[in-house]
Amino acid sequence: MRALCWEGVGKLAVRDVPEPTIRSGGDILVKVRASSVCGSDLHLINGYLPAMREGDILGHEFMGEVVETGPDVRRISVGDRVVVGSVVACGSCWYCRTEQFSLCDNSNPQPVFTEKLWGHSPAGILGYSHAAGGYSGSHAEYIRVPFGDVGAFTVPDGVPDDSVVFASDAMPTGWMAADFCNLKGGEVVAVWGAGGVGQMAARSAQILGAERVVVIDRLPERLATASQRLGVETINYAETDVLEALREMTAGRGPDACIEAVGMESHDVGPAYAYDKAKQTVRAQTDRPTSVRQAIMAARKGGTVSIVGVYGGLVDKFPLGAAMNKALVLRMGQMHAQRYIPMLLDRVAAGEIDPGYLATHPMSLEQGARGYEIFEKKEDGCLRTVLHPQAA
Amino acid sequence: MPSNATRWALAGAAAVTALGVTRTVARRRHRHQPDREDGWYVVRRGITVDRPVDAVIGFWTDRERLDRGLAEWATLEQLDANRWRCVAADPAGGGTEWRAEITVDGPGRLSWRVTDGPVAQPARVELVTAPQDRGTEIRAELRWRSGPIRRAVGLAGGTDPDLGLRTALRRIKSLIETGHVLDTRHDPSGRSPRQERATDKVREKLMVGGRP
Repeated sequence: MRALCWEGVGKLAVRDVPEPTIRSGGDILVKVRASSVCGSDLHLINGYLPAMREGDILGHEFMGEVVETGPDVRRISVGDRVVVGSVVACGSCWYCRTEQFSLCDNSNPQPVFTEKLWGHSPAGILGYSHAAGGYSGSHAEYIRVPFGDVGAFTVPDGVPDDSVVFASDAMPTGWMAADFCNLKGGEVVAVWGAGGVGQMAARSAQILGAERVVVIDRLPERLATASQRLGVETINYAETDVLEALREMTAGRGPDACIEAVGMESHDVGPAYAYDKAKQTVRAQTDRPTSVRQAIMAARKGGTVSIVGVYGGLVDKFPLGAAMNKALVLRMGQMHAQRYIPMLLDRVAAGEIDPGYLATHPMSLEQGARGYEIFEKKEDGCLRTVLHPQAA
Repeated sequence: MPSNATRWALAGAAAVTALGVTRTVARRRHRHQPDREDGWYVVRRGITVDRPVDAVIGFWTDRERLDRGLAEWATLEQLDANRWRCVAADPAGGGTEWRAEITVDGPGRLSWRVTDGPVAQPARVELVTAPQDRGTEIRAELRWRSGPIRRAVGLAGGTDPDLGLRTALRRIKSLIETGHVLDTRHDPSGRSPRQERATDKVREKLMVGGRP
């Protein structure tokens, strides 16, 4: 079969690779119909998460059709149209039992790297390097999904592939970000990042009761889309002092909750950003936490900072004093896909959330490298490239 | 050219630094060494399984489940009411085999003795109810005779008994909780056979001794 493989830092190519097979009783094989690029893939492609091997198949946000099931699979059948959570979860350990699926004890077969780096090893993630288990990804014609009964969900009829694909990762990540904010109704929520996850977080915050949502980015077209599609207020950080703007928008209080949906390759303007970028380039810090710093400084006293942008290692100048003295609540984590996906599919079917507009650039697998380039450079108003491995 | 005094100062600073580094490394190594008791290395490792003690014991007595779970890496043969023989092999087919006799010592207690391995390894396992509805703590104690050089070689080669114990506990937990031990070694990739072999070595390093 054909698959989009990582060939070294910044290099991608389509290769002929063997087809996956059922390896464990709970496995299912999925014929991939839509597989989205994700901002967190860029960290892998650019070598910031250093556990990729040449030839690894990328992709973790996808949907498709089940073509084979292992002997222990009960809930999912051959022929089902499914969306699959990117986080692998066994469904049987204490973390899965308490719906903290991204902390699953049994789904990362290669736990040494993350155990050394983070003290414990969280769940494996499909197509997300050897630190996350070494699973093959979804930018391929077929993918093996372990614990298929836990991770795959049948898709309601009538919802297009390029819409439902975001129920795999961007939507549950955005929802979890808003869920972390513990909204009671009437809050002001600021969201850093107007990409797929940021926009889904903004929509989720609205549904969960936020009165005002402010989205922050530097790309006018993304801010315009967020404003038109979701009716949120926007701040362009390249033109406006974000902290002052948020303070004035809230009459001095600051947002009740700040959601960070950017991650380790955060951008900013000014000399501090240049310093961070230089340090990251020589690996004196692994992550650039510009937007996290801003979120902590912006949050109201006693407010919440919710981090769903991906970070891998160590950051510099983390404003712990501000977080401590303002008595902030910090919540963060990889999303618990399996907890949220069924509820989100219902909301998509009911028309309450429509993520389809994120798929600005549908492409074939062969155009994958170019698709990532457009996505990374934010060319042509790209929000998300969605690959269709079955297309010639 | 620096003066003699500068040279001596630099040499002195270098010597003190080297001494400090050596001491720190030695202290760190010491901290990472297992306990020594009467010439034996002793390690105690635990893992929490999200099942009650009865279910953990039940797993070992449910032959069908056990055989299916162990199929890839071990066979278990009952010798008499309280004794079992376990033959474990490397699922990658490395040819290494581990034979042990397992004895049930009482409720929630068992011990094993390696009968055919490179080093003698008596071990004890105890099952304790974990607090806060967290299931069962499997607490294992492993003893083996070795020296610092052999241990260093074992650590480098991934054959250290402590690494083996940690891997075994992780697999046992996964088997009891899910009925499977996941493996991504045969997942497709765009690698050549040579690259795949190199990647399998990396995978091995990332698997051996790892805990969740």
